[in-house]
Amino acid sequence: MPDVTTTQPRRGTTELHPRWRATLGDYVVALGISADGQLCVIGAGDGRVVGLDVTSGRELFAVHAHHGGVLDVSIAPDGSRFATCGPEPTAKIWSRTGALIRELPGTRGTWVEHVAWSPAGARLAIAAGRRFRVCGPDGEPMFDSDTLPSTVTGLTWRDDGTSLAAICYGGVHIVPFVAGAKPRTLAWKGSLISIAWSPDGKVVACGSQDSSVHFWRMASGHDSQMSGYPFKPKALAWDHESKLLATGGDATITTWDFRGKGPENTHPIVLAAHKGVCTQLAFRPRSGVLASGSQDTSVLLWDPRRGAQEIGFAFLDDEVTALVWDRTGRALAGADASGGVTLWEVA
Amino acid sequence: MKKIPVTVLTGFLGSGKTTLLNRILTENHGKRIAVIENEFGEIGIDQALVINAEEEVFEMNNGCICCTVRGDLIRILGNLMKRRDKFDHILVETTGMADPGPVAQTFFVDDELKHMFALDGIVTLVDAKHVHLHIEDSSECKEQIAFADVLVLNKTDLVSEAELDALQRRVTGMNSMARVLRAQDANVPIADVLDVGGFDLERALATKPEFLSPEYPFEWAGTFEVEEGAYELLLGDGPDPTMTLVSAYLDPGVVAHDRVEAERALRIWAQPALPASVATTIELGARQAASLQLMGRGPKRFTLVAPKSGRIGLFTQHLPAEFELQLVRHDVALVPAAEHEFTAGHSHDEEVGSVGIHLEGSIDGDRLNKWISQLLREKGLDIFRMKGILNIAGADNRFVFQGVHMLFDGREDRPWGTTRRANDLVFIGRKLDREALTRGFEQCLT
Repeated sequence: MPDVTTTQPRRGTTELHPRWRATLGDYVVALGISADGQLCVIGAGDGRVVGLDVTSGRELFAVHAHHGGVLDVSIAPDGSRFATCGPEPTAKIWSRTGALIRELPGTRGTWVEHVAWSPAGARLAIAAGRRFRVCGPDGEPMFDSDTLPSTVTGLTWRDDGTSLAAICYGGVHIVPFVAGAKPRTLAWKGSLISIAWSPDGKVVACGSQDSSVHFWRMASGHDSQMSGYPFKPKALAWDHESKLLATGGDATITTWDFRGKGPENTHPIVLAAHKGVCTQLAFRPRSGVLASGSQDTSVLLWDPRRGAQEIGFAFLDDEVTALVWDRTGRALAGADASGGVTLWEVA
Repeated sequence: MKKIPVTVLTGFLGSGKTTLLNRILTENHGKRIAVIENEFGEIGIDQALVINAEEEVFEMNNGCICCTVRGDLIRILGNLMKRRDKFDHILVETTGMADPGPVAQTFFVDDELKHMFALDGIVTLVDAKHVHLHIEDSSECKEQIAFADVLVLNKTDLVSEAELDALQRRVTGMNSMARVLRAQDANVPIADVLDVGGFDLERALATKPEFLSPEYPFEWAGTFEVEEGAYELLLGDGPDPTMTLVSAYLDPGVVAHDRVEAERALRIWAQPALPASVATTIELGARQAASLQLMGRGPKRFTLVAPKSGRIGLFTQHLPAEFELQLVRHDVALVPAAEHEFTAGHSHDEEVGSVGIHLEGSIDGDRLNKWISQLLREKGLDIFRMKGILNIAGADNRFVFQGVHMLFDGREDRPWGTTRRANDLVFIGRKLDREALTRGFEQCLT
């Protein structure tokens, strides 16, 4: 990655209004906001999991959850509990007040690296080593995957919760949870490192280790590859209409437009203002507004359908490591590699 | 931001990797060390973070070339960097059968790792007692030796001094760039393995200037004054069934190991050699190498004839001491006017070896680029590592570069200043063709 210089906001753009700032003092690995918009859960590099009140920024709880650092955090859709994992062989489930409810074993002898609650119902998917499993609301095992070709590098649920996708070297492994549906593998000879499933379920997009973005249209199985990124595209985000796919992998954000026959053989919308590599991307719920975070500490808002100029900006203290909207789209939480967390109000 | 150094420990099962690892971790060096272990060893240390991970090698496309990298390292090192108590040093202990190539390449191609970590060195442990069990048949064993920046010949207490010397000659023949250390119970100074600078060309040159010295297929050159007439070459029992010999007349005052003479001998060496038995008469100064047949036990006498008196250079494949070699006239051994032992550049091992090329003059950048690109495209899999310092025409600064398989990394370095401008290239690899490499490099001269 290039050396970091600071993004200079254009004149006329609005600085985001922070509601509060908090400092954890350690790298923020993962951040989530509960669906009711009340609880912000943060996982830190030193192994702490901290709950903050979204309204005030007040600390609600802090627990030393994982020796050696938190690797992932996922809040259950009903907000009653959340799951975390770290360099340990079990995932942990906590109450919304930070009390440990139970531990779920992954694959013996390996770390649990990813946790993901299903958006509908209380299924929890966990990935450990080359396997992933799905558990019910009380931790009862519902599904165990076969051994995949390599360690699972990401998990994501289809927006309606009917299927789960796991990525690793060699492709995407999709497991449906509806009667009669069969598992699918979207094969590709490459190490996949990030995944974003369009909200309408029609397109699965993945970033690859070899600096490309690969996507599959689920109905036809047809796949395409967008290459030429200078860095690994770790950040990917779909807008709520499943038409725009924003991708990182550079200081500029490349936004592919899936309207009409695109994005194959079309020019993407290029959003250029960050000076450092874009590390985080999140579309605002029910809107075309995109939030982006960069290695250079800047956070920018864009409206790519209307133009390629940023419409809002803010700064954190270090590389942006998390960027999450609340469900209403009125609050945006960002966090950085030094442990700074800021909640902005977005009109 | 200072990059965190990474040391890779390789070596066959039983070579002493875990012993060395434990020694590094228990020594009071004040470093915060994280260990990534692909082999489940017995590390009983609390101070260090030890991560067990299964080796995951995959192929990735990096622009137009393919290379293999280690997915487990990308993932784990990426996670480690999210910790505030960042580490001073990372140790990667590979499995006994691991190919060090993908490990090294990972640090060349992954953008995040390149930014945060610097590969400091590949340290290969060699079980001096048992390495001969694998070295012939195992490509992994050869690759681990060929890739190393530091070779630790371990368990020296289990073999004789002569066996150790032979082993050292052999591994140096395979990898002329590596520093060779001898150890019992892996008791090498920690600084010699943790702070190697093996991928730092500047450091490599400062600590081991001879690594770019020319390499020849002969280990020894002797200069003799001869009269017209017959001489005898006496050889005792030695380690090889044949030995190649080249002789050449020299101008007065010139010594055989002079670079110009050595290069001349090299050209003769490259031609097919005449097989010579004790019944053959070998003419001194003939423009053909002789391959002395040494089968069978007991001393051997070869007849050499000098067609005229003068100064003669003898170039021998092995050191005279290995065969108790003597040049004799009227039962009196001749004492050389000058003699020189060369760095063992040739390989006893036909498969894996080093080739060093020294060229005077300046290099055409475009031609070099074309040659290297084509070379790596065709032979990249067989070229494990390469290093070079070049005098590019029109540039005031030295151009330094190094590579691992098809990946390479070059940059302008400090100005030449008053140092003599020249070009040095070293390749370590499998089935390297010294002649073709030299010709190719020569064609890049302006």
